[in-house]
This record gives sequence, C-alpha cells and structure tokens, in this order.
Amino acid sequence: MATSAPAPGTRIVDREEIRSKLLSLVASYLEQPVTDIQSDVKLVEYGLDSIFALTLCGDVEDEYGIEVKSTLAWDHPTVDAITDHLYDTLTAEA
Amino acid sequence: MTVIDPSPRQAERLGPLDELDTPEPLEALFGDPADPGNPVGHQAFVDADERGDFLPAGRKTLESFGIGAEFVPRALGGRLGQADDLARVLRTVFRHDGALALGLGAINLIASSTVWAAGDAGQRRWLASVLLDNHPTAGAITELAHGDDLSRTRLRATEREGGVVLDGRKEVINNVARAHAVTVLARTSEEPGSRSHTLFLVDPAAVPRERMRFLPRYRTSGMRGTHLGGVEFLDCPLPASAAVGGYGDAMETILRCFQVTKSVASGAALGMVDTMLRTVVDFGTQRRLYGRSVTELPYVEAELADVFTDLLICDAMTTTACRALHVLPRQTSVYAAATKYLVPEIEQHAADRLALVLGARSFLREGPHAAFQKHFRDLPVAALAHSGATVCLATIIPQLPRLARRSWFTSSAPEPALFQLGRPLPDLDFGQLEANAGPDDQIVATLLDVGQDRVTDPTLRTLCGRLVDELRILRDGWRALAPRNRTPFAGPVGFELAERYAVVLAASACLGVWWHNQDHPNPFMRDTAWVVSALDRLTVRLGHEPLPQAQSATRQVFAELLSRHAEHRAFDLIGRRLH
Repeated sequence: MATSAPAPGTRIVDREEIRSKLLSLVASYLEQPVTDIQSDVKLVEYGLDSIFALTLCGDVEDEYGIEVKSTLAWDHPTVDAITDHLYDTLTAEA
Repeated sequence: MTVIDPSPRQAERLGPLDELDTPEPLEALFGDPADPGNPVGHQAFVDADERGDFLPAGRKTLESFGIGAEFVPRALGGRLGQADDLARVLRTVFRHDGALALGLGAINLIASSTVWAAGDAGQRRWLASVLLDNHPTAGAITELAHGDDLSRTRLRATEREGGVVLDGRKEVINNVARAHAVTVLARTSEEPGSRSHTLFLVDPAAVPRERMRFLPRYRTSGMRGTHLGGVEFLDCPLPASAAVGGYGDAMETILRCFQVTKSVASGAALGMVDTMLRTVVDFGTQRRLYGRSVTELPYVEAELADVFTDLLICDAMTTTACRALHVLPRQTSVYAAATKYLVPEIEQHAADRLALVLGARSFLREGPHAAFQKHFRDLPVAALAHSGATVCLATIIPQLPRLARRSWFTSSAPEPALFQLGRPLPDLDFGQLEANAGPDDQIVATLLDVGQDRVTDPTLRTLCGRLVDELRILRDGWRALAPRNRTPFAGPVGFELAERYAVVLAASACLGVWWHNQDHPNPFMRDTAWVVSALDRLTVRLGHEPLPQAQSATRQVFAELLSRHAEHRAFDLIGRRLH
C-alpha cells in the first residue's frame, strides 16, 4: 500500500486526492466498500479508537513521506479534518 | 511541607557492576529472609499475608530507606535518574513481598509519572515533597467496568465557578484510602475519542470530607496484604490548578508515561520469581530422593536451569526496555508493551514448573517453604496490575506493520550504551517519549548486527540463524496482513504475529546484553552458555525443537545457579550478593 514519497518540490497537492486516499485507507481497515465511509463522520463512530489512530498515523507518514503527530486522528477526528490538516502541511512543504 | 535538601538523599548508588559482593543498601536492610527471627523475613511476610495486611516492619524498612525518593526525579531532590536502577530497587522489594512492592512501591510510579511528565512546577514540587516524606500516593486511573479501556472513563470533571467539580467513582485502586496524593483520570468532554480526558492531582486532605468517600476494600487471591479499594467523588470541588497538563491531554500523557511504568514494573516483578526459584533450590538441595538430592535428578536439573535462564531472558528484556527509555525514547511505545506482554507470560510458566518440582510444598501455607505459595499467588496479580497481556498486544499490533515495511533489515544497531549495564545514562526525560513508535527498531537490528555479523560460536550461529529466519517470516507476514488486522479488530493472526515479534525482541536484547557486557566481573556472563540457553528457549517458544548442542550450555547454567544459590547471589544479569 505504501508508495515511496516523490522528490520534494515535484508534488502537486490535491485536496480531493488526499480525501479519497484517506477514505480508501479507512475502508480497508473496516473491510467495507469505500462508498460506505463518510468523510464528515468521526472515525470513532466507525469503532476506530485511540490505538487505531496510531495505525493511521503510520500509514499517512509512509504514504506522504512526512512526519505527523501521533495524535493526528485525535485532533482531527474526521476524514475531512485530516484532509484539511494534511493539505495545509503538504502545501506548506511544497 | 518538606524542605528539599538534596544532599543526604542523593547517597551514592553503587554502580550496577561495582563490588558485587556488597549487597544493595535496601537488600541489606531486609537481611536474611530465611532467618525465622528476622522481623522482615519470609515468615513475617507470610504471617502478614495470612492477616491480609501490610507488614508494619516492612513498611518501616522502606521508610527508613527513603523509598519515596526513588520515584522523585533528581532535579526535584529525589533519586530517580535511570529507569533500570528503579526497577532493580523495586525488584528487591518484590523479592521479599509483592504486596509491599506494589502498594508502597510501584504504585507511586503510576501516580507520579504523569505529574513529572505534564504537571506544572507547583504540582511537581508538592508531589515531590509528599514522596520525599515517604507518604503513599495512588493513581486513580481505571474503572472496573472499562478495565484498560481508559477512553471510556465515566468519572466526570466539570468546570464550575472558577474551579472544577469531580463526580463519579474509581474502583480497584491500590492504597487509595491511605494516599496523601491521588492522580485522577476524569472525563472532561462527552465527545467520544481521545481528547476528552484530563488528569487531576488531588490532595485528599484539602477536599471537603463529605464530598469524597472511600469504597470498601476488595478481597484478592494474591497480594492479600494490598489495600485495593475505591474512591467516590460526590460533586467534589477542586481548584482549577488541580488539572495536570492541558484539558484533553490525559490519554496522550498516559500513553507516554505508561511506557515507563510498564518497563519498570516488568523488571521489578522478577524479584518474585527469584525468590520462588531460590525456595525450590533450597528445597531441592536439602531433600534426598533415590539416594541423592533432588537437584541431582536430571529432570529437576533441567527444569531449574531453564527457570534461571528464563529469569536472565526476562532481565535482559526488561533492562533493555528500561534503558531504551533513555537511549531510544522514540521507539519505546512498542518495546514497553512487548515486554509487559512477554515477561509475565514467561514468569507464569516458570512459576508453574517450579510448583511441580516443589510438589506439596508449593501449596503449604506454613513451614520453611511457605514463601513460595505466597509469591505464587502474588505473581498473577502483579502481571495484571496496570496493563494486561491483551491490551499490550493490541498496542503493538498497529505499529508493527510499519516496522516490517521500513525498519527490519534496514535500521542500524543502537549505540552500545543501550546494553552496557554499568554505563550511566542521562536522566529519564518524559518529554522525549512518544505515543507511537517511529520506524526505527534498533533493538531488533542487534539481532543482525551481533547475531548475524559478529557471533562465531557455531551453536549460537545456528540459533541466530533461526531467529533471523523468523524475522524474515515476520516481515513478510506483517506486510501481507490485511489492513483490518492492523486495527483493534485484528483477528488471531495479528495477535500471533505480535507474540512472535516479542520473542524475537527478547532474543535481540539477550544478544545485545551478552555482546556488550564483555567486561562483566562474572565470567559466566561473558561466556556463551547463558545466551545459548536463552536463545534455545526462545526458539523453542517459536516452535523449534531444542538444539541438542545447547544441552552442555544448560549444565553450565545449572552449575552457575547452584553456585549463586550457595553464595546468596541474585538470579539476574548482575548477580549481586543479597546478604
């Protein structure tokens, strides 16, 4: 699932791509069709708790080649919120 | 209020490998436990256990040692510097009595570590003064209905009129009714998730009496002397300054601090198995069967050597986890949980085998071997106290796939100081710990560095080869694992892979400790026998047949066991004289 991070400066940040990547990550943890996951519903409502947040954090770091705080999904509890946070982080880097 | 005067409290600690014929100061205070006239000997502790209370003379011994200072960071006038030093001090107490070690020892670390990590200067000074006066403290973290699932905490804290009001109860809290300081985990928001909880530091003497009441004591099968109680807050007002760290920070603080408590508690509890093994060797060297002493029977010899080896494995794993808090703080989320899972497993199995050797004396509550049954009942209580095996595995499962993808066979070996028992480390820095591990598993990298590249002994090479193969299987297994198995919904396959990882981690710690302590004063610790035995036992745990070549190593381990028993030396990596 992990891809190697693109070289710095070459990244074109697309908010919708981030959102769709996160939705498919969450769907894969839950083994549910991606269409069943709503980006504005809190991840804890899907049963993805504090420990799961560590899984997501590791996958996001590997996917985007950046470091995020281990509390990423605690402070940004929906896919939409994480998307916005990652978008800001990645655009600041680009 | 205590005036903090660091000079008498910072008495020079013996270096771990210095003067191994000199007992540790606390051990010296306990004296010879087998002496029936010793007021803090085994008989006195067995009697106190029968009464279901702490032994008053035991408490006095800890107070005269100044046990509280062990939990206070040196910067605040105490003696807390290195986690492995603290584990060894507590191990001494566990060697004599688990109830005392938990209730007046380890519990202080659970109560105080969150305050050292997240408290303000005033809170830290106050808690330091409580502990330096040797007053008990308590950590009111868990609620019986939710066990280790702390995010479901019900006890509520509401901001009101410039202060805070606590409402709700905490159950199965060690020593809470006697504590002079209590850290309380409370819900501060109804939102689900991990930002809805806050820690509060409570001075029970300062809250209105009618707003705080203690629940009846729970009776227990083991650790009978321990006072497990509960506390109920009834709209109990606290000053706003009671909050430890920011609102919503509690889960993060706890995830970080419990890496310290898990590592130290695992290393400390080994003292109980040390005493159980010593009791069985006492019995076996005295009792004659078929014209020889029991310890001369080959079956008994092998069993006892295996338990001694298990203790060395557990000490290598816990000491490495403790030292990693200083050297590799970014990684200890995985190490501490893997250790707190595997070490109690190994200990329980060892205790079961010792009970078989001891026979009827393993359950007699009187006579010269009665200490055994007490420790045997205490051990499972200590294993569960704080974090059970399942929650420990559930903590590492989400983190291992990443180590498999990015670290194993890639990360480089750690600096040797991680393993060098006599090498001082910088003081514990709670701020360095992280809730989840980075992709840099340097302890397991030691398996490749030492086990693959440096070892020349052919038996050891074979064992290391098995472990490197296992690491490869684990890497492929974690990489292929369905994403669901990396979440709290993981099936048995995730748990099994996590268990096997813990075994490889333990083997790596053994190799690191062996290789990097070639200056150990005891030639046995420099030789290959113990590490061959350790790796043989760990690979058997992974499903391999015991290696026939490892049998001569077992005999050497047994000879060392008898010699340490005769000289009253600890059955650990250090081997210091006990009395």
